[in-house]
This record gives sequence, structure tokens and C-alpha cells, in this order.
Amino acid sequence: MFGIPLHIVLPTLIGSLIAGGICSVMGIFVVRMNLSSLGFAMSHAAFAGAALGIAVSGLDPLLMAILFAVAMAAVLGPLSELSRLNPDTIIGAIFPLMMALGLIFLSLAPSAGIGSGALSLLWGSVLGITMSDVIKLGILAVVLLFVLGVFWKEFLAVLLDRKLAAASGIPVRVYYYTILFLTALVVAFSLRITGGLLIYTLMILPASAAYQLLYDIKKVFLAAPLIGALSSLLGFILSLAADLPIGSSIAVAAAGIFLLAVVLSPKRRVAKGTQA
Amino acid sequence: MEDRAVELIDVTAVYEGERIPALHGITFAVPSGRLIGIVGPNGAGKTTLLEVINGLLPVTAGEVRVLGEPVSPRSHRLRRRIAYLPQDLFFSPSTPFLVRDVVLMGRFGQIGPGRFPRRVDHHAVSTALAAVGMEKLAHRPIGRLSGGQQRKVLLARVIARAPELLLLDEPLTNLDPASKDELSGLVLGIHRELALTTLFVSHEPGPLLESADRIVTIEAGRLLDPVSA
Repeated sequence: MFGIPLHIVLPTLIGSLIAGGICSVMGIFVVRMNLSSLGFAMSHAAFAGAALGIAVSGLDPLLMAILFAVAMAAVLGPLSELSRLNPDTIIGAIFPLMMALGLIFLSLAPSAGIGSGALSLLWGSVLGITMSDVIKLGILAVVLLFVLGVFWKEFLAVLLDRKLAAASGIPVRVYYYTILFLTALVVAFSLRITGGLLIYTLMILPASAAYQLLYDIKKVFLAAPLIGALSSLLGFILSLAADLPIGSSIAVAAAGIFLLAVVLSPKRRVAKGTQA
Repeated sequence: MEDRAVELIDVTAVYEGERIPALHGITFAVPSGRLIGIVGPNGAGKTTLLEVINGLLPVTAGEVRVLGEPVSPRSHRLRRRIAYLPQDLFFSPSTPFLVRDVVLMGRFGQIGPGRFPRRVDHHAVSTALAAVGMEKLAHRPIGRLSGGQQRKVLLARVIARAPELLLLDEPLTNLDPASKDELSGLVLGIHRELALTTLFVSHEPGPLLESADRIVTIEAGRLLDPVSA
């Protein structure tokens, strides 16, 4: 495919599709629950963690990415939950720190240099994905589906309104932290495909596009992962055809689909009608 | 002794990070089946009182008992027997939930994790929507309804849950006069038909306050008439 052997391209293609699907599913929660700044901080923490894993021999980059992202969720989750921290503060303080740490760790990595495997953490890489990565992503997708399936009602109730859910006897905090933990895992596992800088687009844009088009949350849960997978597929093809970084290509494809959804959105027409 | 649905004994509650108590030494009891109005100026502690009763806000001193059980923020099972309509809960036009689903979600706590709604749950939803005259809008997005219609949907959610205690925080605020009358009638209907202990906060003069068995006044976190309602 595009001059690259299929056994090299295939893991990235499958991995991209799975990452597009699971990132978009978690994006449904992140967008609806106004956790964008938290997700943003987690994705950059995962990047810094993975970079540390590459810089220090003997550390597993994936494990470090998970640890950093989960630690970020554990620290910022309670603050965000209690509305004590302005979202701009999270982005303003955490984003530059995590980026700085990530870049410092990468500069210390033995293989440092533009275009090296280490820097694929920043931009994503078509060649950086192995079948082992794909299997890990697949296992995470199954776990995600299982957790969402078992606690489907509770997650929906939390998505509608946290206070209303708590008042009807649902232990909202348990589900809130489950959402943060799953988001951290999805970010960490998908990091190598889109890269730390752009993974967030794969989480936010497909979910936002689905929200633009649909009024029924059940349909949003079907449409968002499909849009995410489509973004990944289009980005993957664009990346190979034009020799572009895969993360950037996926981000451009996701942004294109989102803009199309905004143009076609029935909600936009309702809003315009209301203004008139 | 009369069966008490709600009992507060010398309750003090302070919001996290605040120094002045939102409620101070409240002693208050409501026998089962009563309709109680709570009035008072803005910031007096009316909403706090309802949140303490359903355990969403922990007390710093004193004791709260509801339906015979002590209340705390971890009283999830107890809250399944209480219906609470928060103040100013309106859904934006883009809210991605259908009317029928919003009502069904009221029963999710009772159904429990790992289980799916059964025929009896769907039947309860249909009956509740019919009771408030919203069955024809069951498949409309909740955010596309007017404020009055959204309130009716939330009342249908209350009916579908078949609670033992109903807490309403300013149920008539931001509604037009016709909707206020209609909503008041629905609340009174639910209270009478289900013999449901009902506590409501309201500033609005009208049938709801006029029908109350007792009106209690709260000011600066203290009840002005601290007796059994």
C-alpha cells in the first residue's frame, strides 16, 4: 500500500480505526460533561509520561503514559468536580508544564532527533505501531465496551445531569471517576498513533460532530465512534498518499468532518430559527 | 406518635470553604402525607434545607432522618425513595436526550446496575407521561420543549419513580402564568393521589402555597417557627 509493505501498514490501519472509535466514545463524555480542559491536561500528561519512558531505559513508555494520565486525573478530577479550578487555569498551568517535561525527556532520549521514533510520540507515526500495540488497543476496546454495557444506564443518567442522577440514587462520584480513569487509559493507549499533540482532536471532534447531528444520546454513541474511525481512515490514507504525519492527517480529517457536521446540523438551523 | 417522613434534629450545615453555616440549629419534623411549603428571602437556606434532607449536602452537626433512616451523602438507596427536582433545571435546545428517556432515567437508580429496564419500567413511563399530558411528545428532544413542558416531563419522571417523599425547589420559577397554574395543579394531583409527603420551596402566591398544610419560614439559615409541621 503506497509502496509500504502491508504487514507494516496494516497494524497502523487497524490501530487507527480502533483508536478513532474508543477516543470518540470517551469524547462523548468529555464534551457533554465539560471535561475538555481536564482531557487536554491528561493527554499532555500521557505524552510527558511516555517521553519519560523512552528517556529512561528500563521504563515502559505505555505504562508511564498511563501512570501520568491517571495521576493527572486523580489530582485534577476532585478540583474540577468541585468547580474550584477554572478550566483556563488547568490549560494555562498544566499544558506548558507537561509539554516542557515531555520535550525535556525526549531530548534526553538516546535516539533523540527530528524524525526519530521517540518524536513519533509528538506527531504520531505510520510505522511506529506494532501488532502488539493493536492487540492492547483491542483489549482496551473490549474492556471499554464491557464497562459501558454493564453500567449503561448509570452513565446515561450522569450524562443527562449529575445532580439529577445523584438525587435519584446513583453514586455519581463512582461513575465520574470511572469516566476519568477510562479517558486516561484511552489517551495513553492511543498516544502512539496520533501523537501527544493531536490525540485530543480525535477525542473531541468526532463526538462534537455527532452531537451536532443528533438529538438522541443512544444514536450519538453509535455515530461518534463511526465518525472517529472514519476520521482515522481518511487521515491514514492522507498520511500515506501525501507523506504527512499521521496524527496531523487524522486531525485534519476529523476537523473537516466536524465542519461538515456544523454546516449540516439541524441544531444550527433551530438556533438560527430561534434568533429570528 | 404520628409517622414522621422527615425529621431534623438541631441540624447545622456549612458549605465546604464557607465559614458561616447555611443552616443553623434546625429542628423540624414532617408527618407522612403532608404538603409543606418553605418560604424565605433569597439566600435564606431553603435549597440547602432540601439538599440536607435528601443527603446531597452533609450536615456538620445534628441528625437528619428520612423515611425512618439516617441520611448521609452515601444514602444512595434511600435517595431512590425520594424524588427531588432541583431549582432552575432547564435543558438547552441541543440537549441530546429524548423526553421518554429522561423520564425512564428516573427509574435507573431503582433498577440497579447491570440490569436493563423491563416492561414494567416502560409501562410506568408511558403512564406517567399520560398523567401529565406529554405522551404525544415522548419522542421529542427534551431541549426542544418549552420551560413549562420540561417541568411537566420532570414531574412525569417523579410519577414514574413512585417515590415516598417529594422535594421540589422553586418548581414554578421562570414559567408563564398559565404554566404555573397547570404545574401547581399537577403537583397537587400527585401529592393527593399518591398521598405523597411533599416539601416545596416557592415564592409564588397561588394554589400550591394556598393548599399547603403548613408554611414554614426560613431566614438566615434558621427556622422562624421551629415546631413540628
